[in-house]
Amino acid sequence: QTPNTTTSNQNQVEQKTAGVPLSDLVLQLEDFPPTIPDSVTAYYLNKSGFDSSDPRVIRLVSLAAQKFISDIANDALQHCKMKASGQSSKKQGKDKKITLTMDDLTPALAEYGINVKKPSYFL
Amino acid sequence: MTTSTECTSSSEPRRRALKVAVAALCSENGFTSADDTALETLTEMIQSFMSEIGRGVRGYCELAGRTEAMVSDVAITLINMGFNIGGIEQHIKRSNKSVFIPPTQVTAAPIH
Repeated sequence: QTPNTTTSNQNQVEQKTAGVPLSDLVLQLEDFPPTIPDSVTAYYLNKSGFDSSDPRVIRLVSLAAQKFISDIANDALQHCKMKASGQSSKKQGKDKKITLTMDDLTPALAEYGINVKKPSYFL
Repeated sequence: MTTSTECTSSSEPRRRALKVAVAALCSENGFTSADDTALETLTEMIQSFMSEIGRGVRGYCELAGRTEAMVSDVAITLINMGFNIGGIEQHIKRSNKSVFIPPTQVTAAPIH
């Protein structure tokens, strides 16, 4: 229980300081299993010429990649909700399912400077 | 050319695991379902993102005269890519709250 109290203290300190103490983040990495398996991240890193025996380095990369996708998904969700609120309210009531479509993903990615064209065919 | 075809066939389990991870992240964000096209696009992007990090980290650690990558190399690569490192901590804290980590079983799959 002591690590939890120290991390919350660090979080409070971090909000005041401008820089982020990366060493603190690295120490916490062990406690947060990423959604992307570490071995998968390690494979793609090895494929591009990167090799590290330190598991924390790989975990940092997988968490960064995870955040990248999560941010995009969140932007797409906002687009989806904005579109849904513009439409008729009776459809919104029964529309409990939220589907991630290319129509929402394309404007979200455009904010990141990535222009996605709809593939003319997809298997 | 033969190597490239070998690569794609051997990386298929990893790609499947990545797709599961991407789908889990989307579900965590509040989506209930997703188009296959959108998921494939995100999978391709995460794959490209990780490859780009690997390339950048190797460049920075070789520039420093090392062969072993360090955390600082990853940090400088992420900053160079315009990525906000401070947000990672918030992200891991938040994803810890919504416990949704199914692909741990998939780790065993990549033995091909």
